[in-house]
Amino acid sequence: MKALINYGGLLLLAMGTLACVDPEDQPSRVYDFRVLGVSTEQPELMASTCERTPEALDELAAAVTYRALLVDPSGEGRPIQYTLWACADPEDRTCSNEADRALLAEGTTSAGELTLSINPGAARVGEDRLLLERVQEEDPYKGLGGIRMPLVLRAVAGDEEVYAQKLMVFWCPVVEGMKANEQPVLPGLRVDDVPWLDAELPELRGVGPFVVTAEDVSALEETYVVPGLRLQAVTLKEAWEISWHATLGDFSPQETGGADFGGQQGRHRTEWEPAAGATAQEVTFWAVVRDGRGGSSWVVRRARWSP
Amino acid sequence: MTKPPELVQQVEAQYPPEALAQGVTASVRLIITIAADGSVADVLPTEPVGNGFDEAAIAAVRQFRFSPAEVDGVPAPVQVEYVYHFTLNAPPQEAPAPGQVQEAPKATLTGQLISRGSRSRVAGATVRCGDDPEAPEATSDADGRFTLEVPPGECAVRVVAQGFQLYQTKEQLKENETTEVNFFLAPSAGALETVVRSERPKKEVVRRTITRQEAQRTPGTFGDPIRVIQALPGVARAPFISGELLVRGSNPGQTATLMDGVRIPNLFHLLGGPSVVNAEFIDQLDFYPGGYGSQYGRAVGGIVEVGTRKGAADTLHGSVKVDLLDAGFFLEAPVTDGISVAAAARRSYIDTLLPAVLPKTEGSTLTVVPRYWDYQLRVDFGAKRGAKSDAEAGGARSSGYVMAFGSDDQLRVVSTGPKTERDLTVDTRTLFHRVKGDWTYRKGALTSVFTPYVGYDALSFNFGVARQDGTAYTVGAREVVALEQSSALTVRTGVDLVYEHQSYDVEFPAPENFEYVAFPGAESVGELVSEKLSLGAFDGALFVEADVKVGKFTFTPGVRGNLQLVGSTQNLALDPRLWVRFAATERTSLKGSLGLYSQPAETFRFISLPYGNPDLIYQRAFQSSLGVDHRFTDVLNVDVTGFFNRRFNNVAQPGQIVAREGGGVVQLPYSNEGIGRALGIEVMVKKNRASATDRWSGWISYTFSRSLDGRTGTQPEGNGGFGGGFGGDGDETYGLSPFDQTHILTLVSSYVLGNGWELGGRFRYTTGRPTTPLNHSFDLYQADRNRFNGTYGPYASARTAGFHQLDMRLDKSWQFQSWTLGVYLDVQNLYNAKNVEFVFNDYRQRREYEVPGIPILPVVGVKGSF
Repeated sequence: MKALINYGGLLLLAMGTLACVDPEDQPSRVYDFRVLGVSTEQPELMASTCERTPEALDELAAAVTYRALLVDPSGEGRPIQYTLWACADPEDRTCSNEADRALLAEGTTSAGELTLSINPGAARVGEDRLLLERVQEEDPYKGLGGIRMPLVLRAVAGDEEVYAQKLMVFWCPVVEGMKANEQPVLPGLRVDDVPWLDAELPELRGVGPFVVTAEDVSALEETYVVPGLRLQAVTLKEAWEISWHATLGDFSPQETGGADFGGQQGRHRTEWEPAAGATAQEVTFWAVVRDGRGGSSWVVRRARWSP
Repeated sequence: MTKPPELVQQVEAQYPPEALAQGVTASVRLIITIAADGSVADVLPTEPVGNGFDEAAIAAVRQFRFSPAEVDGVPAPVQVEYVYHFTLNAPPQEAPAPGQVQEAPKATLTGQLISRGSRSRVAGATVRCGDDPEAPEATSDADGRFTLEVPPGECAVRVVAQGFQLYQTKEQLKENETTEVNFFLAPSAGALETVVRSERPKKEVVRRTITRQEAQRTPGTFGDPIRVIQALPGVARAPFISGELLVRGSNPGQTATLMDGVRIPNLFHLLGGPSVVNAEFIDQLDFYPGGYGSQYGRAVGGIVEVGTRKGAADTLHGSVKVDLLDAGFFLEAPVTDGISVAAAARRSYIDTLLPAVLPKTEGSTLTVVPRYWDYQLRVDFGAKRGAKSDAEAGGARSSGYVMAFGSDDQLRVVSTGPKTERDLTVDTRTLFHRVKGDWTYRKGALTSVFTPYVGYDALSFNFGVARQDGTAYTVGAREVVALEQSSALTVRTGVDLVYEHQSYDVEFPAPENFEYVAFPGAESVGELVSEKLSLGAFDGALFVEADVKVGKFTFTPGVRGNLQLVGSTQNLALDPRLWVRFAATERTSLKGSLGLYSQPAETFRFISLPYGNPDLIYQRAFQSSLGVDHRFTDVLNVDVTGFFNRRFNNVAQPGQIVAREGGGVVQLPYSNEGIGRALGIEVMVKKNRASATDRWSGWISYTFSRSLDGRTGTQPEGNGGFGGGFGGDGDETYGLSPFDQTHILTLVSSYVLGNGWELGGRFRYTTGRPTTPLNHSFDLYQADRNRFNGTYGPYASARTAGFHQLDMRLDKSWQFQSWTLGVYLDVQNLYNAKNVEFVFNDYRQRREYEVPGIPILPVVGVKGSF
């Protein structure tokens, strides 16, 4: 804490000045090829025992559905080449170490949701070793955060290339009370306090800002148990974050929710402002939710905006 | 100065024959440097008058003899201004016939000499009627009082005093009557420092001294004494207007700042605001960038020693200062003979001004309440003015003082409302008090200085449901005994002990990576963890050193043994040190040093795992330097020093992940893996004011350096912060320090314009800090965190653009009979240079953006003193 105070002044100054710098490229402004989110269904796999039994290995080798939200607003439907690997080291962001990676899928797709069925828990590398074992060997925390296997998607659209890493979590009940994570799903959105349904195309007029909120998610945020670093059970409560994106204009804030280290949670309220000088058009919006332990999903909305 | 010098042996100058033949008269104004034994060390004319008068006056004055002046009761070298009058005597009158002799009638002029604008008593001034050298004259005593007996009639009073303009007036004096007057003398263009500080024994290879006036008048520092240190060689520029001291490649926190020997716990109000040391309270600042004596420790960087000011011995003085952030006062006064008091206090009022400028938005409420105050109080005793010096008395002498200082910072930020991102509450308070004593005992060749102190610190921090309340009690003492066994051998030894007891009462949501393994992305809210921690820490040192003079060499070998006891942890460190000084000529010295230095980790870092590491050991450094200093004139010095430092066992954070006894793992929050290395050359050219009429002073400070920083071993999980933080995406754990600046140039100048105006400027140029350039060819997206990683070029292979800035300060003072009003305008970044402080990348790590430093920043302040 004292160190925090010592250097906090410098940090505050830097943050204060940072606020005066406005980069052109903003996370919420989608205009080129992006991967906006990745999820797996189930978000994590939990074996029924921590013993290395054939049953436990089978449970961890279950098939999962891999989803990636690929957007390419100016790509005009161009093909997107993709390759999906699983590898051993989370620091290897591109799964470049061929000895420690397993190819899960590859092919060509187009913008939208890429859906693949994969079996990362059964992947093998090198001398026919189970990749899960290699991940565990690389883990400095000795599995106390679960076995976190990096799934790296390489997606290429034209001359744009993105590596997107998602950690697939494999658990076993290390301490009492642990249960598998459930996928976070947004119950709904509202624009200017009016429900914003998937099939609707609301008319938005003027320069805004338009207030966009998520329906209350607090009841959906799970309370869960993980093993502590002292081998005790630690109880946590999810604090979901939502990242907001649109094909026109910006959101402010661009990410809502979450919690700080004082437990203060953000509210899921943001303001969308169309770009100055833009002409009337249909705008696509995405809200990607993350539960902070590997679960993620998204909703897509559209609206007709005119100045 | 507790006792002014008195002229005990005067030698008459020879009248220059040519001037005598031409009937020319003159008054030669001289600056006389009087050594501690009363002999004349140096004589310089302030403004040569020619015709051979200067040479004649200097030749005579060199033979003068004074009684030693005393500072705090101790004989000390001083400078005085002296005017030698050359006048032509009238032809001798015929001697009166016997029987005509009768006692001449007399009148008495008595009174007090007072400095206009400050009411200081003017000591050592000469008062006479007319300029007849044969006329009787009186010298004012320490209270400025004088008594002059002269023939009755009109007296053309002439008062000559060091640092003051010639005072002339006319008084009608009646026979056998005493006329009592008060003369208000106008100071010359700005006060001149009396004590010749550079004449203090200079054991250290480099010690740079800043006077109070320099500290207050250096542009761009807002009169903040600690920030002035940043304008000296060996100190890298800290970002923005931060006052952090980055000395010879060391990191923040590795340079100790002491107030009369007691460490100041928090240097700055509100993290980076004004320093807690009131500029009015300081006497001088001594800065040791390295190679300092064995009596100093607990630092692997440099040392800043803030010397405080004892209360005035003549009468009540004070000042009130008001600026944008705060207002404060300073008072000093004698209580009785030998006891004086000085006090200062300051309180911010920015909390009352902020609501007027904070944005007001419907649906959200933002409250920011920053408050701070500080105080200093010093009571001196034992140094009686006019008392015989111990040399004269031959007996023991004691003097001392008691001082208290402290500071309180509070910051409360509340942001609420349905339109805010979240309801946010931050409430912090940092408080400290220190009380110290100082007892100096002198008897013959023995000098003993005993400094006990106690302290109290409190820290509270509330952020949402996270809460921390901490208190610390400190007790310490330092004893230094010096024995001058002969002119060739002086031995100093002593102890330096401190014990600190800290206790913490904390409650916070279980923090990730301390209690459980964090998952990238949205942090969950942990169950509340409550801890009550307490820890006692002792750090003691025993030191001894000796000055051994062998011909032109002075060797100072020394050693400092350090012992630290924290809980069950016991650390030892032995620091041998050596200085050598070679007086090549009267004006040129070569000097060198090498030694080991130790710094204990702060007590709170020793708390139990996972929040501390009880196994920390002393941080160490090897420091060496070699240099030369040359005194071109009494007021122009040049110092060139090269240095090489190596730091090791420094605290780096975090440490590695290790297995815990009893199961589980832990990432050590701190480890002794920090290392660093720095080398460079420092140049200091300083021009002081020669006299009260010399208008210009300033210095040029230049440092060429290369500093490396990092850690041994591999990168820890989660990279690292200060003392081990690395940019880029490689595996480097050692490279250029983030604060490395190859060239650091500072020009400081001050010019007395006259009529109360003074203009100062400071120009700085430093090489830009190292950065690791982006080398983007594809995006690296972490879907769980919703953040991008960068791809980088070689570590620290680029730099930001060089920093350059001009700061100006204009002071104007109006001197009234008994007080002075001062106004200043301090403008930072006068030509609004767009300097780069930091570089950050856009969210996809594709492009770099430069974070600018502060734009032009004018600050106005008002100060009244009496």
